[in-house]
Amino acid sequence: MDAADDIAWQLKDITKTFGPVAANDKVSLELRRRQIHGLVGENGSGKSTLIKTLSGAHQPDSGTILNGNAPVVLHNTLAARSLGIATVFQEFSLVPEMTVAENVFLGRWPGNASNIDWRSMRQAAGRVLADLELDIPPDAVVGELPVAQQQLVEIAKAMAANASVIVLDEPTTALGIAEIAHLHDLLRRARSRGAAILYISHRLDEVVDLCEVVTVMRNGRVVSVAGQTPLDVNAIISLMIGRDVEEQYPKVHGGGGEPLLDVRGISTERGLRDVTFTLHRGEVLGLGGTLGSGRSAVARALFGVEPIVAGEVYVRGEAVALHTPWQAIGAGIALLTENRNIDGLFFNFTGAQNISVASLGDFDHGLWLDLRRERQVSGDLIRRLQVDRIAESELVDHLSGGNQQKILVARWLNTRADVFILDEPTKGIDVGTKVAIYRLINELTAAGKGVILISSDDKELLAMSDRVAIVRRGRIVRIAEARDVSKADLLTGPEERRQSA
Amino acid sequence: MRRLFSLPVTGPAIATLIVALIVSLTTDRFLTHGNLNNLALQVSIVALIAIGSTAVIIVGGIDLSPGSAIALMTMLLAMMLKFWGVGFWPAIVLTLLAGAVIGLINGAITAYLRIPAFITTLAGLSAYRGLAFTFNNGSPVFEASNRLEPLFYGKLLGVPLPLIYIVVFFAAAHWLMRHTRIGRSIYAVGGNANAARLSGIKVRRVQLYAFILAGLMAGVAAVLMAARLNSGSPNYGVGLELTAIAAAVIGGASLAGGRGDMIATLFGALTVTIVQNGLNLNAVQTSTQNIVLGAIIVIAVGIDMWRGELGRVLVSVASSMPRVAREDREGRKAQ
Repeated sequence: MDAADDIAWQLKDITKTFGPVAANDKVSLELRRRQIHGLVGENGSGKSTLIKTLSGAHQPDSGTILNGNAPVVLHNTLAARSLGIATVFQEFSLVPEMTVAENVFLGRWPGNASNIDWRSMRQAAGRVLADLELDIPPDAVVGELPVAQQQLVEIAKAMAANASVIVLDEPTTALGIAEIAHLHDLLRRARSRGAAILYISHRLDEVVDLCEVVTVMRNGRVVSVAGQTPLDVNAIISLMIGRDVEEQYPKVHGGGGEPLLDVRGISTERGLRDVTFTLHRGEVLGLGGTLGSGRSAVARALFGVEPIVAGEVYVRGEAVALHTPWQAIGAGIALLTENRNIDGLFFNFTGAQNISVASLGDFDHGLWLDLRRERQVSGDLIRRLQVDRIAESELVDHLSGGNQQKILVARWLNTRADVFILDEPTKGIDVGTKVAIYRLINELTAAGKGVILISSDDKELLAMSDRVAIVRRGRIVRIAEARDVSKADLLTGPEERRQSA
Repeated sequence: MRRLFSLPVTGPAIATLIVALIVSLTTDRFLTHGNLNNLALQVSIVALIAIGSTAVIIVGGIDLSPGSAIALMTMLLAMMLKFWGVGFWPAIVLTLLAGAVIGLINGAITAYLRIPAFITTLAGLSAYRGLAFTFNNGSPVFEASNRLEPLFYGKLLGVPLPLIYIVVFFAAAHWLMRHTRIGRSIYAVGGNANAARLSGIKVRRVQLYAFILAGLMAGVAAVLMAARLNSGSPNYGVGLELTAIAAAVIGGASLAGGRGDMIATLFGALTVTIVQNGLNLNAVQTSTQNIVLGAIIVIAVGIDMWRGELGRVLVSVASSMPRVAREDREGRKAQ
């Protein structure tokens, strides 16, 4: 097992600094053939920098990269790819307008320069997909596939390149339970074919389930090397944050308050059918179901993004019209959107301005905004949520993902909302920040607010909700106490959707 | 000190100084009282249009129409004063109103009919000048009114009126953008329209406001243009939209939206005007001037876009580590 020729790639004493910050400080890593290697750490621990070094996007300040035993210099991403390093980043590198086959062989199309051999490309792509037991037509246009399938295409692309190592950076953030299972199958198959796999994820239960060895990073250093790290979630968390976690899900059970939000039989043009539920003060209602089941559609409908074509919504007993987000905000509804880069943050604003943007009316004196009070109020929230203090005066792109997420939570805390819809509130943020967000949820319910929680992390959903509503194909099929719901109940396989398609 | 360098006006102000220095070295006619006075008159029209261009660029659009709109409005103003018997001040007010209506049309088509601003205002560029030619058989109207010229050449307490317009309008525009809810909303919509909508901002209405402001400023510029020449002409204002956009861009406004600053735009307008003035003083042909203006726009945007890389190139040269220069842009953002 220790045979040297089992080592596909090695990183040795990689150091990379940005200004005064050592993002990577003498980091070493061995990637073996036929092994799935987990890499975990909080945001800012240096994982991304390390992957970027391995994929040729960064040049290390010192240290060496060895291909087997031969030192190589990866001048750019192209060089890394040609040496068999396939990286699947969070953002896809697929061309949405092209077909699956064209994407799988992107840049390596068969045929000569003036004439692409389309037929053999389609056939080869078909073989790759069949080999991976992926039921995706090679002629499908990638942009028209569901996100989950795009992710699988991305991986097929990496495997078609005969990569010696496949690096995956948070590949499951966009996936539901069934898709994750499929992805893991795929990776195990890639492993059995001899590939080395480096798997980066915040979802530690997945990492423990999938990986054979785990490397833990903290503050730019490796704090626990592969082979020594116990494959246990709590042990890994302690290593990641450098102390013991009190509790992963500090849930304070609530509920039983008066009805706050009453949704009666709402339908939308795209998907929702006769959705009925009640959210009470002090309660967290979880929305479970797979990606595309309609969980997020409920959020969009209640926030005035997708038009409601039938049914009524009552907030605090009063019927409300929800045709636009500003009406929803006026009715006391807040939506923390799933994708903070696309739907949440203003990268041209400071943290403070990002907080105040949904409550500008509070600072508006007609002819002028009370900028001093804006700074005060935002500053108070920044301190209260323990966001990095630079958020008060610096643009948000200088902040880590966790801090950015807290800024968005602060934005909605500052509105007078009673109903908080949180769509994937802990997506892509580290364990410490996750716990902070959970505590905020507890604070909200303690203050008599109602929370609708949407999460693909089923453990989180079950642990943090008082009740869970399971959504399938745009309908709520069951509402039950969270403790009576199992992970299996949340799962609706892609088979079901395929039949309905 | 560090704060001073991170202000949005610092770069454009330095650019203005550098350009002024270079021009004053090439000709001793630059720093004369007469020329500086002339410069103030020249910059005023471009600068006032650029207020509108900047607002529209910040909201995420672009306005190609003000040059043509100005031609149309000088014709309207001159026709009203000379042939239609409209009183002097009512005619001025109606001209400004016409500007606002033109902005409203541009904005409504862009925001509510969702035609890209580039297309809408490109159509406006064509249509408004066409409309200008429908008056007075397409001929200019000269000697519109003897009350017109003092609006441009007059002085208040010894200060040329155009300078006073600049101060008043830029102070108001700066206040609007940085100290009011509308201004903040304009930045928000340009920065991330999706997020703005989901934060309860009425995105389309905000876009409309920015275009109305642009139309209004074109109206102000049209009044000054007509006053300067005491006439209206369908041939006035050709290419002014590009000069105004150049002023905004040199001032650091990002065509991707969300970024820009009114005072910085004023320095941008000064930079462009000083360059033109310097080329004029050195008797450079108009064709060459246009080429130079094009080059300046590209250089200004380039310096802005590559500021990060340039910084790192300098650092790497200083510490003789050339490989740093090869890094991709992500380097700065990574942890």
